[in-house]
Amino acid sequence: MRLPWRWLLSVTSAATLSQAHASSWNMPVGVTDISRDIFGLHMTIFWVCVVIGVIVFGVMFYSLFRYRHSKGAKAAQFHEHTSVEVLWTAIPILILVGMAVPATATLKNMYDTSEADLDIMITGQQWRWRYEYLGEDVAFTSNLSTSREQIRGEAERGEHYLLDVDEPLVLPINRKVRFLMTSDDVIHSWWVPELAVKQDTIPGFINENWVQINEPGIYRGQCAELCGVNHGFMPIVVHAMEEADYEIWLAERKEAAEQEAMGVDREWALEELMARGETVYQSICSSCHQSEGQGAMPAFPALAGNEQLIDDLDWHLDRIINGVSGAAMPAFRSTLNPVEIASVVTYTRNAWGNDTGDVVQPAAVAELITQ
Amino acid sequence: MWPVVKSVLAALLGVQNDRQRQHDFSTGKPAVFIIVAVLVTLIFVLLLAGIAIFAAG
Ligand SMILES: [Cu+2]
Repeated sequence: MRLPWRWLLSVTSAATLSQAHASSWNMPVGVTDISRDIFGLHMTIFWVCVVIGVIVFGVMFYSLFRYRHSKGAKAAQFHEHTSVEVLWTAIPILILVGMAVPATATLKNMYDTSEADLDIMITGQQWRWRYEYLGEDVAFTSNLSTSREQIRGEAERGEHYLLDVDEPLVLPINRKVRFLMTSDDVIHSWWVPELAVKQDTIPGFINENWVQINEPGIYRGQCAELCGVNHGFMPIVVHAMEEADYEIWLAERKEAAEQEAMGVDREWALEELMARGETVYQSICSSCHQSEGQGAMPAFPALAGNEQLIDDLDWHLDRIINGVSGAAMPAFRSTLNPVEIASVVTYTRNAWGNDTGDVVQPAAVAELITQ
Repeated sequence: MWPVVKSVLAALLGVQNDRQRQHDFSTGKPAVFIIVAVLVTLIFVLLLAGIAIFAAG
């Protein structure tokens, strides 16, 4: 019996190489203990399958060739052979149990979300992710930041085409981070291959998962559950930092949130609101209502020249604060703060020739939200 | 009793030989095989549950 040993060896060494450097044709090794365990299981089970395949097909092809009809081979005619039958039942059982033991241990570990150092609420929305650092008063939405020109093919596509966001999820390394995952609208799935997390986010349910990242870096992922027209435009970026850097970042975010809260009570000028409003509009609203407010019918009405919007400020505010039930327009009362709502309303009422001259103050919005 | 248990275990693995099968079908009572088979299945299920509880504990 001659097997192509040299060929087999070259495949083996190629696979070992891939284990060292995450290759493009295999799953990533990842940067958590669990992702490494999963990769190890994947490779172990892959090689178990390879060995079984080589033995089974080797014996089969050898027999086909060695005992071929043209050589005058005669088929053996026996009916049963209990010890062989027991053997070919027992061996697969042992192999399966042997694979199940480490796989189950890893699975148990993956589900153990107890004793986390940090809790983060992840909410899927059409079509962005919202991150809330529970107990820290820090929360933000993370939106696609790949430019529209790139998407339309009018500009050259960047290295991280459709995998860039305005605000990445920032996490400390070496700490157990628990994710509480849900959705505001339809089922999404939060998937970051390097972290070995792929978890459905389901409206009305809270799924749990956890990571403990070993290496600082930027890890990218995507929504992995078809969730509507912009499913491909809600990527995930995780920025894993040294613990000290994370603490600095968190303090800055808290400071900024406080500043923002203080800004609610003061009087804002039209120019200020317009500038802020444009930023909010482009990151939150433009994916549906388009960058110039032209909309995309039938699902997404135009805002530029929209007569109902121009005539009725209260109606306009109500749409944004409470959403439109049964339509794609979500309620922004808890995902945007009063400053953001006031500025984006002011912006849409004065941009693209809407020119209503209305200035909506954050304090007025805050009052509407608490009603 | 032992031959019945042996036949049931052989059936579980799917390895009964023809001589034993002929013997069981000509002399044994179906009810005995069915009762033993149900008991053996029950023991198998409890065994798996026991392993699972032990592993999870
Ligand atoms: Cu989605």
